[in-house]
Amino acid sequence: MTRDLSVRIGSLELRNPVLVASGIIGYGREYERLVSLEEIGGIVTKTVTRRARAGNPPPRVCETPAGMLNSIGIENPGLEGFLEIKVPILRDLPCAVIVSVEGENVEEFCELVEGVDGSGVAHAIEVNISCPNVGPHGLRYSTDAGMAREVMGAIRPLTKLPLIAKLTPNVTRVGEIAEACESCGADAVSLVNTFVGMAVDSRTRKPILGTVLGGLSGPAIKPLALAKVWEVVQSVDIPVVGMGGITKPVDAIEFLLLGARAVEVGTALFADPTLAEGCVREIERYLERMDASSIDDLIGALDVPDGRGVIRAGCASRSARGGRAS
Amino acid sequence: MNLVPCSVVSNREVTPGNFLLTLQVPRGFSRPQPGQFVHLRITQDVEPLLRRPYSLEGFVERGKLRAARIYYSVVGRGSRLLSLHQPGTRLDVIGPLGIGFSPRPRRLPILVAGGRGVAPLLFLSRRLRERKRPYVFLFGARSRRELYGVREIRGGRLHVATDDGSVGFEGSVLELLKREWQEQEHTPLSAEIFTCGPHGLLHEVSDFARERGIRCEASLEGPMACAVGACRGCPVPLLPGADSGRYPAMCIEGPVMDATIVDWARLP
Repeated sequence: MTRDLSVRIGSLELRNPVLVASGIIGYGREYERLVSLEEIGGIVTKTVTRRARAGNPPPRVCETPAGMLNSIGIENPGLEGFLEIKVPILRDLPCAVIVSVEGENVEEFCELVEGVDGSGVAHAIEVNISCPNVGPHGLRYSTDAGMAREVMGAIRPLTKLPLIAKLTPNVTRVGEIAEACESCGADAVSLVNTFVGMAVDSRTRKPILGTVLGGLSGPAIKPLALAKVWEVVQSVDIPVVGMGGITKPVDAIEFLLLGARAVEVGTALFADPTLAEGCVREIERYLERMDASSIDDLIGALDVPDGRGVIRAGCASRSARGGRAS
Repeated sequence: MNLVPCSVVSNREVTPGNFLLTLQVPRGFSRPQPGQFVHLRITQDVEPLLRRPYSLEGFVERGKLRAARIYYSVVGRGSRLLSLHQPGTRLDVIGPLGIGFSPRPRRLPILVAGGRGVAPLLFLSRRLRERKRPYVFLFGARSRRELYGVREIRGGRLHVATDDGSVGFEGSVLELLKREWQEQEHTPLSAEIFTCGPHGLLHEVSDFARERGIRCEASLEGPMACAVGACRGCPVPLLPGADSGRYPAMCIEGPVMDATIVDWARLP
């Protein structure tokens, strides 16, 4: 029996809920011989910025226990370069294309959204308000609910494309940021971007990354990511795209069980380029074992005792006082 | 470039701390050029997480056997685990990757190797020999025991330097290069340099070449995540004037690059 794996993120219909995260496979062509794009839901492009960026000085990556720190710094050709060089490539890809954008300020976000919308190539836009590697502005719009509102509110009227706000986990209450995005017209939120991290070489007495700080990804962060996604699915009604440390196909199931409507595969794809396709097949097998006909039976099907694990923004203390969780 | 399953034919310590890995590769692995590399998955486990880039020491096509050879040092978690793999172990590789050496016609290739950096240059020397091209091979190592592969260097003129003087010239291979250049009266039109080894040596060799206008290609080494140009995790800093405001990616614009434009001081 063929099972329907399609999911909707706003007006974006994906044939299945497995995406490749931004920064992993460039603009699709780099990995075309290694990843079967026709089998997955879609890709999120490398983030596009208003002007071209050379990226950060080396070293930009450092392996850590079960993880990886990166400080790439969004090396990309800028909006004009994107429109000229990358759009023709993206037009031919056999999967949904979600274009990731990042601005230094609200005006740049607006220009990027208008430019990407006008390119006609994007099925949705992921609004990267959570990059830890581009200087102080990178995290500004997703560590402060007011600033998240400012940027999402400004870009919402500029496009009919689904807007997915990509959030940082480097906050105390990510649910509040997600609510702010929802209230300003975001169609979905995606999380987690990387956790700010650092590596030190005791032999040379130097930090390993060229920028000292970087973002941690990989299997090491999966439990942290699950908790952040769990908080957000309790905080908002819009779809949540979950990611962070998906390394084995079954990890994707875990995010869906929490209530994520789709997942993004990241760092582990460098080791296993077939991971995204593997996740799709694992979801099919899982539904078969559940004897479920639709992926809706899997999304949010986590069996949690009433009142336990409630971390919705502003509600945790209320729930504890209610006595059900204690 | 493809993702292909391979199996270990042999994997043994050939010089102290250095192993030669022979991997049988399927047809989907195209014939590599000297200087190209493979991105090797050492374990199916999550630790260590990333693949490891290894330049090829050679490529064997003998009867039914098609095999890629890697000469590697045991220096960390990944290489230690790799050294434990027994014949028959299945591994998968992405490759061949990157840009290899490109000798120009009618110029004498001078190969300058430091330590285990000899690997891609051995591959190059064999290819030169197949094409009946003369070459000079200058090989520097800490001691006699680290002179891997010297007996294979045939069809070219070999000079050896060791830090401890246990064989050949006592001192740096850079000194051998200077002597070679002077005594043989090479010119930038008659000879060119191909080098691989510790980045400190490559820095010295490229300075020597730049000062004299000699064409010089170096094979670089560094951590890589994707190795196919997507993640931009392996930037190569270039000297002012050569960089045009961007970092080439070592994985697809290298690992063999024009050594004279690399800013070695900023390369880790």
